[in-house]
Amino acid sequence: MEIVVCVKPVPEGETRLRVRADGKALDPEGVKFVLTGYDESALEQALLLKEATPGSRVHVVACGPAPRTEEVLRASIALGADLATWVEATGELASDPLAVARALAAAVRAVPHDLVLCGKQAGDHEEGLVGAALGELLDAPDFGAVVDLRFDPASGRLRFQRSTEGGQEKWESPLPCVIALQQAWNDPRTAKLPAILKSRKAPIAKVPATPADGGRSIGERFELPPPRSGAKMIEFKTPEEAAEKLVRLLKEEAKVFP
Amino acid sequence: MPDFSLTAEQESLRDLARKFARTEMAPHAAECDRAGRFPEEIYRKAHELGLMNLNVPAELGGSGLGLFDQCLIVEELAYACGGMTTSIIANCLALEPILLDGTDEQKQRVLPPFCADYHLAAFCLTEPSAGSDVGALRMRAQRDGDHYLLDGEKCFISNAPNASLYTVFATVDPALRHRGITAFFVPRSAEGVTPGRDEEKMGHRASSTGSVRFERVRVPATDRLGPEGGGFSLAMRTLDMTRTPIGALATGIAQAALDHAAKYSLKREAFGKPISEHQAIQMKLASMAQSVRAARLLTWFAAWTIDRGAKGTLDSSIAKCFASDAALHVADEAIQTFGGYGYMKEYPVEKLLRDAKLTQIYEGANEIQRTVIARELLRGYA
Repeated sequence: MEIVVCVKPVPEGETRLRVRADGKALDPEGVKFVLTGYDESALEQALLLKEATPGSRVHVVACGPAPRTEEVLRASIALGADLATWVEATGELASDPLAVARALAAAVRAVPHDLVLCGKQAGDHEEGLVGAALGELLDAPDFGAVVDLRFDPASGRLRFQRSTEGGQEKWESPLPCVIALQQAWNDPRTAKLPAILKSRKAPIAKVPATPADGGRSIGERFELPPPRSGAKMIEFKTPEEAAEKLVRLLKEEAKVFP
Repeated sequence: MPDFSLTAEQESLRDLARKFARTEMAPHAAECDRAGRFPEEIYRKAHELGLMNLNVPAELGGSGLGLFDQCLIVEELAYACGGMTTSIIANCLALEPILLDGTDEQKQRVLPPFCADYHLAAFCLTEPSAGSDVGALRMRAQRDGDHYLLDGEKCFISNAPNASLYTVFATVDPALRHRGITAFFVPRSAEGVTPGRDEEKMGHRASSTGSVRFERVRVPATDRLGPEGGGFSLAMRTLDMTRTPIGALATGIAQAALDHAAKYSLKREAFGKPISEHQAIQMKLASMAQSVRAARLLTWFAAWTIDRGAKGTLDSSIAKCFASDAALHVADEAIQTFGGYGYMKEYPVEKLLRDAKLTQIYEGANEIQRTVIARELLRGYA
């Protein structure tokens, strides 16, 4: 099976984000970019399918600027991806979901693909648009919030589940299809040191994104959330007094109760 | 000129070590310290990820890293737990003699099977009455045809209770002092090898340390490393290679102590403001930050020097000695910043002081490092 996994670099979880001077984007200077957790789960799923289906290959594709995009591709190779394609694009284009989906769809079309996987969203803007857009652009069935993909060689179909509010749906789909995966349900593996060293020398195919792909969504204004105001401490001598004061505050100031 | 901006490859090695340290080691550090537990499951994972036999060339089954890259990894590991780090890197120390003086046949015979699975090795130099004075070691190696008979006892050996392979230094004639010392590798399974119990230690309680008794252990002459009498030089050349990562280990402990102290100082209030706004604490933090930075840079400089092919005796001694003293100073000041809380086992900083202490003692006591530094220094004036 030819499995393509689309991945996105996002700022590492502990990053202290800053807004660019013009206020229209986040400042990437000094920010460490990593694979988003959703994509880690998607890549893990691809590797599990590859291990279960002899003769399979995992091809990882990402769209964005240097050096962050190359870094997540190399990280994916270290985890076990066989091939990598880097769709070179500016940071502006890479923050436009439809532009990214177009660029990725063009790259996917150019390579063998039975199955296209991605995270159901990325951990930065959390728009969750690229998976569904890819399905439309590739004219393939697409599914979101999926866990636990199994390939049934007898029928040539995929079986999987979708997590929904309070339940699980069971689905199956013919190939090719596009599947956007839930995060952290499959305990993604850690790359081993020799694989990391080897991934630095692995070839990465580069294709340019066409400028026509971009320009639909434009960052207007970014602001950091206002600092939270301090907590109000209740002074009290007995627990009863504390409870009484708390209830009064909840009623009169916070207006949680009538 | 050294350039210490890290390459993308070095960043990804450091990221791997950091992730392993923070997700696999740190959550168990306090529990292993309290119980004196040797967390084999963590060491097995370290091996699986390639974090264990860092100095062994890739073609012999190791990770094949230079000293600088080893130091990046060791600092990250030690940030989470000094004791676990000692157990993880003890293989580098124990295998270095085989890398340095082993024949191609010996390397091929021993290292690939050893590295392929989780195995621990232990470097057996110290004896009950021979520590810094290596020439005083008494363990005997008597030639017996195409074998040697080893007799004696080693003590304070890292990983000895859990190791499957020992590199052992013994003397063919104690009267020859340094010139009689000869090195061997001995499998734990050899008849007459008896590892002792795991010692109760002040710090590094997640690592195991113990004695090993050798009673008429027959070792084939083909398992001798280098020539008869070449063991002292081999031990010194080994330590020249492994001393620098101890500087990195101490730097990791020191960085952890500084981070704990700085974060605590921003939260803890006294006299109506966070203690970070009191000059007394600011002076401490500034001094701690200087120590950490200097320890790291001296360590990196020594590693860079040795990676370029220099012997590095002076630079590695300076790095190990300075960084270990810095770790003790920074851990001490971190406890002082925490005040009474710092002295309590419930808080993480007192462990750092206990762990830091060992770095002044093992792989060459700091008094020996200073002797070496002075000797090398005076050579330039003579």
